[in-house]
Amino acid sequence: MAMTDHPETSASSSPAEPAPLPGPPASIADGVEHPLDPRALTVQRITAWLVIAPILCALSIGLLLLLWLAPLLLWAQILLGLAGLGIASALVWSAHRWPEISHRHAAYTVAPEGIEVRRGVLWRLVIHVPRSRVQHTDVSQGPVERAYGLATLAIYTAGTDHAQVDLHGIDRATALAIRDHLVAGEGDDAV
Amino acid sequence: MPSDRRLHPLSILFSLGALLRTVALPALVLLFTAGSRGWGWELWAPLLLIPNGIVALGRYLTFRYRFEPHELVIRSGFLFRQERHIPYGRIQNLDAVQNVFHRMFGVVTVRVDTGGGQEPEARMSVLPFAAFEEMRRIVRLGRGDESAGAAAEPGAAAGERVLLRLAPRDLLLHGLLDNRGFVLVAAAWGVLWEMKVSDRILGRFWRTDRDLSREAIESAMRTVSDGFTLSGHLLGRVGSALLAFVVFLLVVRLLSMGWALIRLHGFRLVLAGEDLRTEHGLFTRVVATIPLRRIQAVTVKEGPFARRLGRVAVRVETAGSDGGEQEKATQREWLAPILRRQELQGLLDEVLPGLHLAEVTWSSAPPRAFRRVLKKWLNAGLGLAFGGVVFLQAWGLLLVPVGLAWAWLGARRTLDHLGWAVTEGAVLFRSGWLWRQITVAPFGKIQAVALHESPFDRRAGMARLRVDTAGAKDLGHRVDIPYLERATAQGLRDLLARRAAQTAFKW
Repeated sequence: MAMTDHPETSASSSPAEPAPLPGPPASIADGVEHPLDPRALTVQRITAWLVIAPILCALSIGLLLLLWLAPLLLWAQILLGLAGLGIASALVWSAHRWPEISHRHAAYTVAPEGIEVRRGVLWRLVIHVPRSRVQHTDVSQGPVERAYGLATLAIYTAGTDHAQVDLHGIDRATALAIRDHLVAGEGDDAV
Repeated sequence: MPSDRRLHPLSILFSLGALLRTVALPALVLLFTAGSRGWGWELWAPLLLIPNGIVALGRYLTFRYRFEPHELVIRSGFLFRQERHIPYGRIQNLDAVQNVFHRMFGVVTVRVDTGGGQEPEARMSVLPFAAFEEMRRIVRLGRGDESAGAAAEPGAAAGERVLLRLAPRDLLLHGLLDNRGFVLVAAAWGVLWEMKVSDRILGRFWRTDRDLSREAIESAMRTVSDGFTLSGHLLGRVGSALLAFVVFLLVVRLLSMGWALIRLHGFRLVLAGEDLRTEHGLFTRVVATIPLRRIQAVTVKEGPFARRLGRVAVRVETAGSDGGEQEKATQREWLAPILRRQELQGLLDEVLPGLHLAEVTWSSAPPRAFRRVLKKWLNAGLGLAFGGVVFLQAWGLLLVPVGLAWAWLGARRTLDHLGWAVTEGAVLFRSGWLWRQITVAPFGKIQAVALHESPFDRRAGMARLRVDTAGAKDLGHRVDIPYLERATAQGLRDLLARRAAQTAFKW
């Protein structure tokens, strides 16, 4: 089902769709839960690898030096090697496999009355922000996101826990359309 | 028509005074430590006050404010001119603080707060008291508050109604019930610690090099531990420990009562048109104005003893800034530090019209939540028993059944009192066993609704629903409903989100 949702958005934002109302707000606020953009997974992996690569290098160099220079018994060497291997594989897992899992559990829903952001694997969280409570929004792009045409949408409310709700890894055009939808209501229901 | 107004000329003196207060302690330390080395640059230090004096004078000369029809305009700065426009409708809180010196000269420090960011929007130090009264009236008028307009002609007090006035007796009771004394003890402890630094000054007085405060603490501890070893056997130990504990509690309560008498002296809660105003303080007089529609959430609190005496406390959350001046912000939140339970509904009628606390039908957590609550209490109960075994050896085993019974009772009663309700205009949440609290968040103030599922929640098929409002603090009580059935939680989430979306949020 997750596979069918996404193409639907890209189709509905294209002009070929016989949309009853022109413009993105009508089509973006469909009230259907969308997974994040598949490219977001790649972006997350690249970012994670950028973080762990230096750590991995330092770890392996340190370990090799220790094994080579320190006068250790064989079993200690083996233990040390195994520990290093364990840490390294945990790091690789966190950079390669974990983004996939968290990507699977992240989604967003835009409805006429508000937006819902879902995230978290072990501790799951669904945040619902009514449209009338959106103070302002930011659409930002990091260098990796820019290379893949993705963006992060930040929604600001007057709350405390959720003063800022971030939605990472969505298509830039989608992010802009959601932003327009969230901010457009200002004139209607301010009174 | 709008004419420029300026600060009271004394503001120069007050800004110098504030500076003096911050440099006074280091200056004293210098004074006492520098003695043997002779006097060097320290004597010239007062010269540093001159540039500050010039700055204060400049600020006084350039600071202007005026009342436009819809906004307060503040101009300041000499080289870098700043003109700040604050629409009356945006003003969240208008607070006035008067310490002893302010009152001596009939002036006041005013904070204008619009709820944006951490800092108050404007701080006027100092204004004549009459100017503050005028500002309060104009701000109310500027908001289009009719009753204020009516009251403006015959006299400021006509449109005002005193909702609550606390007599010293009430304050003593509040001090007794509120455990503020622990804060004071902590503060005193901190001061004692500081003393180690300032021991050098004390040493100069008494011409010794000994660490006086540490010795005082150590001798006190020795006395207590002597009590332990002298009375050798178990009963004596327990007895002296209990005695020390009781004495400590008494002292803490007395401190708390004294604190309440001073800080909340002459407490008044006044309804002036659309604004609530609290006034209190013996030495430092604090006047806080809270526009009724700026109230984000209301919490009613009752402790175990307060409940016996039929008393509750009411606090409100506002979206004002609290950075930097934590204490004042918390002070402002007390709507009623102590209140008879019969009077609660009357106050709520003013603050949250349409809410009848007695008629609310509460929903409670599902019965199977008991096991989860019990587990939490068991951890605490068994911890107590473990502590008992460590300190009292075999006798401590007696504490195991006590701990278990306590955990069972605690879990039962906690769950009994845990509840939530949705009324016409608000969501309510209550919790606590001994210290019970009820928080009311009007739909119009709900900023976001979040559904949390921890791994434990998912195993039990439950969820936690958290309502985010402006000014909600993690340590304070807030609408945060645990142990909901998953389906219930989702339904409630949808309902709250819908009701919040239907109401427009107005600052």
